[in-house]
Amino acid sequence: MSMVEFKSVTKAFGSITVLKDVDLKVEAGEVVVLIGPSGSGKSTLLRCINALETIDGGDLVVDGISVKEGRSRVRMIRQEAGMVFQQFNLFPQMTALGNVSFGSRKVRGLGRREAEEQARELLAKVGLAERGHHYPSELSGGQQQRVAIARALAVKPKLMLFDEPTSALDPELRHEVLRVMQQLAEEGMTMIVVTHEMSFARKVGTRLIFMEGGKISVDGDPAQLLDHSENPRLRDFLQHVH
Amino acid sequence: MEFDWSVIADAMPTLLSGARVTILITLVGLAGGMILGVVAGTMRAYGGVILNAIALAYIELIRGTPMLVQVMFIYFALPMLANIRVDPLSAAITAIMINAGAYIAEIVRGALLSVNKGLREAGLALGLPTWKVLFYIIGPLAFRRMIPPLGNQFIISLKDTSLFIVIGVAELTRQGQDIMSTTFRAVEVWSAVAILYLVMTGVMTLVLRVTEKRMRIL
Ligand SMILES: Nc1ncnc2c1ncn2[C@@H]1O[C@H](COP(=O)(O)OP(=O)(O)O)[C@@H](O)[C@H]1O
Ligand SMILES: [Mg+2]
Repeated sequence: MSMVEFKSVTKAFGSITVLKDVDLKVEAGEVVVLIGPSGSGKSTLLRCINALETIDGGDLVVDGISVKEGRSRVRMIRQEAGMVFQQFNLFPQMTALGNVSFGSRKVRGLGRREAEEQARELLAKVGLAERGHHYPSELSGGQQQRVAIARALAVKPKLMLFDEPTSALDPELRHEVLRVMQQLAEEGMTMIVVTHEMSFARKVGTRLIFMEGGKISVDGDPAQLLDHSENPRLRDFLQHVH
Repeated sequence: MEFDWSVIADAMPTLLSGARVTILITLVGLAGGMILGVVAGTMRAYGGVILNAIALAYIELIRGTPMLVQVMFIYFALPMLANIRVDPLSAAITAIMINAGAYIAEIVRGALLSVNKGLREAGLALGLPTWKVLFYIIGPLAFRRMIPPLGNQFIISLKDTSLFIVIGVAELTRQGQDIMSTTFRAVEVWSAVAILYLVMTGVMTLVLRVTEKRMRIL
């Protein structure tokens, strides 16, 4: 069974169709890097997986559960699929420790002590052992994004979705987030990552997908595609992100 | 004419008992109004089409009619329509409740919608049901933003209780009127009444300021 399976998925906002008959299978352990021009549907594709957007046609199955099965099943999908947003979206009224322990307490039902202990381990893992008592507003963007990754991991997902996790960061802060993501990939986490970081795609990605106009137009090995793609629009796109 | 302090001294016990009734109506009415307002405001911000329409109908009905007419309706018309007896105090409390509730609903709705949508999505993405996202994440953030407009509404509601003179509730304005009609000392009586209202609204403002300060974090 695939971790994620899109079966002719269609998604429209009003009269514009944003995903057009998308078919895609992602297996456990894959690190899929999703690229494409702005507006090509990358975020929408990601957000359909954890049902932040509802699909209009076809079917989408995540770890055996269809996004169309109903609310409580959708919540199970969301617990399986952690998400990291471009704008971090940390809860501003909670400390880093509060943010990370929140999911295990309110979703997994752990007690405070246990949840905080686990949160401390996760913060250490993302290199922020000393920052647990800081509020998001007291952290740099790179630190906030690492807290956000730890927050998503606290629910113990099987799959991680990243939507341009470094795009809101200054260039010198990006590597610290990318390093955490690389470590996660090395531990075997299944990941789908929308990013413009081509070095990450080459080094960490096991698969590169190029989207255009709501469709997957190229799907293959990252190094192969980055160096010798036949597709002129992909080559053109890569020239502009470099 | 001379300002006669003894009039005030004599009137004070009666005025204070009136102030107590004013406070009772305000506190109980606002407590109910907060519950109504939070429910209706949440329905407006997050309810589906039907819940939203119900809340909107309630809000527009109340905002579109004078409070004086509302309390007259509750006190005089409701008993005829539904065959239930309403005592003046209950009518007054109910009027504050449904009236403040409608305005508070709009405050709640605005505050809920002003919280960054990304936080709601982050909560949902963890696998939480919507009500938990509202209760643990959006609600606390929205609450802090509600305090200044809520303070405004609380003060308006407190002053609105003086309208209940028309149904004979023994609140502060009514007591002032009673004393006036026996002593004819308008300057002293209405000065004392005004100062008592000022003290009550002043305390309310102070409590809200302190609450806002204590909720510094965002
Ligand atoms: N909530 C929405 N309402 C209406 N249109 C939307 C919404 N979200 C995205 N879109 C539109 O869908 C298209 C794809 O958007 P998106 O998936 O965000 O693209 P990408 O992430 O590749 O830039 C764009 O044209 C965008 O304007
Ligand atoms: Mg996007």
